Amino acid sequence: MKQRIQIITIIVVLIVLGAGAAIYKHKTLGFPFLPGKKEVAWTVEATISFTADGGPVEVSVNTPDPNDTVAVLDRKSLAEGYTFERKEGRAVWSSPDASGSQKIFFRSTAYRRSEKERGVPKPIAPAAAIAFSGPQKVAADHIVEAARKKEASSVGLAGAILAALNDPVNEDASLLLADAEEYGGNVNLACGLMNRAGVTSRSVKGLKLTESKKKQKLKSYIEIQDGQQIQLINPRTAELENRDDFLEWQHDTESILEIMGGTGGVISFSTLSGEISAQGAALKHGKYSGSKLIDFSIYSLPISQQNTFKLLLLIPIGALIIVILRNLVGIQTSGTFMPILIALVFLQVNLLAGLSLFILIVGIGLVLRSYLSSLNLLLVPRISAVLVFVIIIYVAISVISIKMGIEAGLRVTFFPMIIISWTIERMSVLWEEEGPKDVFVQGGGSLLSASIIFLAMKNPYIGHLAYSFPELLLVVLAVIIMIGSYSGYRLTELRRFEPLSRGE
Amino acid sequence: MFFASPSKLKKAGIVGMNKRNVVMIAQNNPRKLYPLVDDKLKTKVILEKDGISAPKLLGVIKTQGNVRELEAFLETCPPFVIKPARGSGGKGILVIGGRAGKDFLKPGGGRVTIQDVKRHASNTLSGLFSLGGNNDVAMIEEMVEFSDAFDGFSYQGVPDIRVIVYKGYPVMAMTRLSTEDSDGKANLHQGAVGVGIDVGTGKALKAVQFGRPVTHHPDTGKDLSTFSVPDWPAFTELAARCFEITGLGYLGVDIVLDKAKGPMILELNARPGLAIQIANGYGIQPRVDLIDRECLKDRTPLERARFAMETFSVAGDESGVALEGRGEG
Repeated sequence: MKQRIQIITIIVVLIVLGAGAAIYKHKTLGFPFLPGKKEVAWTVEATISFTADGGPVEVSVNTPDPNDTVAVLDRKSLAEGYTFERKEGRAVWSSPDASGSQKIFFRSTAYRRSEKERGVPKPIAPAAAIAFSGPQKVAADHIVEAARKKEASSVGLAGAILAALNDPVNEDASLLLADAEEYGGNVNLACGLMNRAGVTSRSVKGLKLTESKKKQKLKSYIEIQDGQQIQLINPRTAELENRDDFLEWQHDTESILEIMGGTGGVISFSTLSGEISAQGAALKHGKYSGSKLIDFSIYSLPISQQNTFKLLLLIPIGALIIVILRNLVGIQTSGTFMPILIALVFLQVNLLAGLSLFILIVGIGLVLRSYLSSLNLLLVPRISAVLVFVIIIYVAISVISIKMGIEAGLRVTFFPMIIISWTIERMSVLWEEEGPKDVFVQGGGSLLSASIIFLAMKNPYIGHLAYSFPELLLVVLAVIIMIGSYSGYRLTELRRFEPLSRGE
Repeated sequence: MFFASPSKLKKAGIVGMNKRNVVMIAQNNPRKLYPLVDDKLKTKVILEKDGISAPKLLGVIKTQGNVRELEAFLETCPPFVIKPARGSGGKGILVIGGRAGKDFLKPGGGRVTIQDVKRHASNTLSGLFSLGGNNDVAMIEEMVEFSDAFDGFSYQGVPDIRVIVYKGYPVMAMTRLSTEDSDGKANLHQGAVGVGIDVGTGKALKAVQFGRPVTHHPDTGKDLSTFSVPDWPAFTELAARCFEITGLGYLGVDIVLDKAKGPMILELNARPGLAIQIANGYGIQPRVDLIDRECLKDRTPLERARFAMETFSVAGDESGVALEGRGEG
């Protein structure tokens, strides 16, 4: 009785702790219980190369600014021999002594904010007004007046001004463009004209993330205030661009790259698109940071380790299913946790290919192993011989399937050799001692369990819950303990003892 | 009905695997006592110490050195059996019924040379027959001169009697008869016939094969209802005595019948299975409950055996429910 109370107490405590933490995370921290939409994320890598003069070097790069449509997540630097720090929106690398050609990599992850996340954008600060004089003033006024006559909206005005500037036969434009350098370049000139027409605008440089390619350069664009909204105009075509995939790297007169102690600095960019969950993005963006529960959780691990844990956290689910199948249903398996390992293989190989490969390997293995039986070998040499057989079977399946043009056969190597060897050994002993029927019952039970575990592990909802709410492991533990003290009938026993229930 | 409802099974007093493991075994059999029954040599020693009848231990082969001495040792031996101390499933048992000059004779008539016997002993030592492949020792036991009381009831070999002893009380008994289906093995789920034995009388209650009732042995054609264990009270007392020497509260006792020496303990089992319920046609739970109430009284093995024989006899009384009522009355 005392033991029973102890078990119940443990179960209650575990469930309260686990479920409580999960509910807290859901309610207070806003972790969704259901897996969210996948968001597109881009990895943008800036490569800075230059030649160091052979002394102290300081490299500073303007970092991309998050705005209302695109968020910038983690920024990572890869530069050997440099210390990295971030100062006032710039990434700064310094080295006391560097010479020869240098390369610095700077990686940021950007993702498109969801509709909900977007607020009202910060109004843009207009570029400094340009003071035109003489004929330039007349030309500028001409262009502005002509645009005003055609269009009234700010977007229309901006478009008209750009169209005028891009018009090769427009004399006013030619006059202004001839001295563009004086005004800080063509784009700044266009901004100046827009401001003159009453359209708040500024020039920005950045990357169009959807143009995913290697070796990109920053391109100039013009941002204009359109009521509450901000619009992006491509000055080369005078057309509106989508701001959703524009990563703003620099605006106004910020310098992009400054190198002290080196020459020939070049910065180039490459972008790579991928997917992350909305939650992951929000998380990395620091939406939840500050909570102790997050700071001391899996999320504090590096991304690559997090991926390992994604799989590890699913293993208790597999164990739970094994416990249910064995102790509540009464399915026999060969080796307690072997089905979990087989299910992990199925995750890599796919269910059907996995099942057929497993049956093929174990089938051939059993045939070869049956010959060993007649030799009366000792256990360790015998199991070692089986291991060699297994390797030979792997090689044979791989080679034959490649010759036949079946790629799936190559995935045979995902099966853990030692586990397969022991499975063959155990099944062979079972065959000798109990007969083929038991081998099929246990083998079938193992494969059925492995398939169910595979389906559970593959399920996006279970995966999401296991990964986002690791504290639910305590609940899984509670259920396992609960089943561990269950002394009722198994489902298969209802069948086994069925004749006995009729007598009365 | 393909499935029985759990409540019906509970009413019939059936114990399931989970209950056996969580309640019967875990609460009655302390793990530290397992080696006493898992190692047949240890069992032998404790049986001998208490003077409980069992096949006599002639010698033990512990080292390869012993194997070399085997030839001289066996020179004067009566018919013997060599078996691994930690064998499983009856593997590695060599029975020698007599001699023909220098060679040995198996009961079936096969000849075995001394080299074969030595190799068998050597294989046993290196763990060929033990479950985990661990090193083992080989025991040389006197061969049992089986009584002919059970002739014709088994396809091969001679059946033994399995008695479940709960807290020292023999609560249920059965015998397993090998068939052609079971390949000569006495394993119920492989097709051996299970015959439930009335604890009160030692007579057959019911016989099942593959879970279905049978009346005659499928191979020998013998009427199974005529199965009767001679000298049954001695069997029950022998089984009851195993409780004191092992300390195991849930114990399976396998007993064989020797022509001259009467019943002998062949093997003890700390995890006896549940198929005995099917062979008997009764659940074991009511009997266990009854013993749990009865257990406090200090009784000798003989008294316990008598009590069990009186209480658990179902001859002429077909209902298990009446049995429970009697226990309470």
